[in-house]
Amino acid sequence: MSLMERYGVRLYKPEKACYGYNLINLYNSGNVFLIDMEGNYLHRWVSDTAIRNDATLLPNGNLLYGKAAPLPPETDMSHPRVGVWGIGAGLVEVDWEGNLVWKHVDTLQHHGHWRMKNGNTIYPVSLVVPKEIADKVKGGIPGTEDRGMVWTDGFREVTPGGEIVLEWNAAYYLDLKRHVECPVCFRGDWTHMNSIEELPDGNILTSMRNISAIFIVDKANGRIKWDWGPGEVSHQHAPTFLENGNILLFDNGAHRQDGSLISYSRVVEVNPATNRIEWEYKADPPQSFYSSLISNAQRLPNGNTLICEGMKGRIFEITMDGETVWEYLSPFYSPLLSQFGKVSLCAQAGTKSVTNSLFRAYRYLPDYPGLKDKELNPQKLAWFNRLYGPQFLEE
Amino acid sequence: MAMVSKKVSPCVSSARWNAYNGYTLLSPVEGKRVYLLDMKGVPVQSWEIPFALGSHAELLRNGNLLCAVKAPEGPLADFEGATGRLVEIDWDSRIVWRYEDLYMHHDFCRLANGNTIVLRWVRTPSNVVDNVKGGLPGTETRGVMWSDSLREIDPTGKVVWEWLGYEHLDPKVDIICPLCFRNEWTHANSFVVQHSDILISLMKTNNVIIVSKETGETVWRWGGLLKLAHPIGVTWLDDDDVMVLGNSIHVPGMERGFSEILTVNRKNNNTVWEFRAPAMNEFYTSCKGGLQRLPNGNNLVCEGDKGHVFELTNDKEIVWELISPFYNSSPTYGRNNMLFQAYRYGFDYEGLKGNVGKLDRVWLVPEKKGEHPVKKAHPSEGEQALHERLSFLGY
Repeated sequence: MSLMERYGVRLYKPEKACYGYNLINLYNSGNVFLIDMEGNYLHRWVSDTAIRNDATLLPNGNLLYGKAAPLPPETDMSHPRVGVWGIGAGLVEVDWEGNLVWKHVDTLQHHGHWRMKNGNTIYPVSLVVPKEIADKVKGGIPGTEDRGMVWTDGFREVTPGGEIVLEWNAAYYLDLKRHVECPVCFRGDWTHMNSIEELPDGNILTSMRNISAIFIVDKANGRIKWDWGPGEVSHQHAPTFLENGNILLFDNGAHRQDGSLISYSRVVEVNPATNRIEWEYKADPPQSFYSSLISNAQRLPNGNTLICEGMKGRIFEITMDGETVWEYLSPFYSPLLSQFGKVSLCAQAGTKSVTNSLFRAYRYLPDYPGLKDKELNPQKLAWFNRLYGPQFLEE
Repeated sequence: MAMVSKKVSPCVSSARWNAYNGYTLLSPVEGKRVYLLDMKGVPVQSWEIPFALGSHAELLRNGNLLCAVKAPEGPLADFEGATGRLVEIDWDSRIVWRYEDLYMHHDFCRLANGNTIVLRWVRTPSNVVDNVKGGLPGTETRGVMWSDSLREIDPTGKVVWEWLGYEHLDPKVDIICPLCFRNEWTHANSFVVQHSDILISLMKTNNVIIVSKETGETVWRWGGLLKLAHPIGVTWLDDDDVMVLGNSIHVPGMERGFSEILTVNRKNNNTVWEFRAPAMNEFYTSCKGGLQRLPNGNNLVCEGDKGHVFELTNDKEIVWELISPFYNSSPTYGRNNMLFQAYRYGFDYEGLKGNVGKLDRVWLVPEKKGEHPVKKAHPSEGEQALHERLSFLGY
């Protein structure tokens, strides 16, 4: 609320930062931008609907994103997952100019997606927990089932032709004793999966927020090969596999159960062989870096880490020692509507709320195949850069 | 999509005509200095206190400053909000009164008759502990659960009245937040006295209560897990309404990073006024903060985690704001500008009588040598930051 913030690229140390192009995805807006390190807007995609989920630039140069479910009155209020945070309406792939290349409608799709090596796409879905298992699910606020049902998540794999070739339901594989839901989350949403990634060996890395755990799922038999997180992280997002075999993730820190009475986030690198945290980043003071939801972190080739503090619309790059070498704050505010009732994404905010949140941010290096032969010239969006570009920030 | 932008980073944004004119008292967390600032944010008086602050300081009607300072040797010194000593100092920082009770924490109140009410921890009898519900199982400190008590002492330190929370609270209703440790039952953190009633905010049990000083009974109680999340500040508005600041750290469901201010009618328990930031994440304080109702009807809100203080009208317009430039390094929070509480005193405030003429800009000295006139020894980091901001503003 302070009028004292400075927007756009606020800090850049070219000698220490990893040069590249930043993809930002304005939460609930439908605008996706590529920004260079100086803060020039180089390219803009505009979706015909809002985007409240992930958007990624594929190696083929197309943009793949999750379409948001429409808001009332267009939305189907009888949809089983209406109003649940992150729920989407399916996936859309558009080319550089924004022309539709591929789409897949699935009203249970939410959060992330991953284009696999075989050309298929894998994405998280909301799934019902069968009644006999639902009664044994522990945790959550008693009586907060969603219309009597406990929901969990899984993933589906879809071919370019739109055929679902795989569905995995977490309810059959989770450990009911260990994967206890956070005591102040709603029982209607037991697990809340929020990311998906295919590992080099073909297994699936995923994260479940409400049970504060990340998993590697064996693609061959569906069993959970490795899980980690309860007691270590809280309500984490976006684990990604690193070249050294470790996993980098964003530990949001909402609803921490370690007795701490201050909200802070951190980024941790865990070694799945030893379950030990080998690196972490925490701000000083800790509360100055906090995003209760969304967000991600990406390890860059020079060893730096790009962090998206999603709720605050801030992206920054740090070195291994925690020095900030690049920072951007989004100046774009989108409206949030509060018409879903109690479980809506902004019930707390009232009806007039706005946000400059970013779902996630990615940096693509100049040699990324998806950027080959693409025109990355700030003059293309000259009018836009005059308003919001770096010269705006000059004294 | 709207654009919000401001280039400058002053200490204070401009005050509107309807702001309540006066001086603002800032007590930096764990600092050894307390500052009085004018409406432009220029410090016009500073006090030096012999110990680091445990919570905050208050300018009394007699012109002295009453400070709750930390007693590091206290048995519960590592608890959030622990103080242990009260020190009253005059305008020139000379100690005129002190009181020691190592179990004191958070708030205090000087009464008109010269007595002082203090908030302190007491051991909850084990037969009561067994009945207290909620919290994370097994998280008592070596089997002990502390509860809150209020004690009135006269200037000689004699106890003239005492209220023991565990005798009057109800284990069936005052249930600990499911994410909190059971080392404390209620974690009271602020109280205000009006006539013979005391309004108290109980953080861990998510409620505010009014205790009758005559009978000790709880005459009114409001809150609960789904209504109020972790109150950290309360104030009386009139006989019917009370105002409470909830920090929302352990809010059920999706934690969206909104702290909230609610006005509750005592007669019908309805929320008659509420405030949340117009943009997500822009008003959020997870552990420190407070409220003050000003004589012109505006509200001074302290967003303590961020060192942000703002004045809010009842039409939810921000008419004055400040970011504390006073930084301290603390083992718990790192280098921070956090504030426990802020107070505004009008020009006609009794405690400033006879001293208003003495108010003059306090020259603060940066650590960089030779650049500015040196008038005082041992400048702190915060003073350097303040000086930089002031020279930026052209002072």
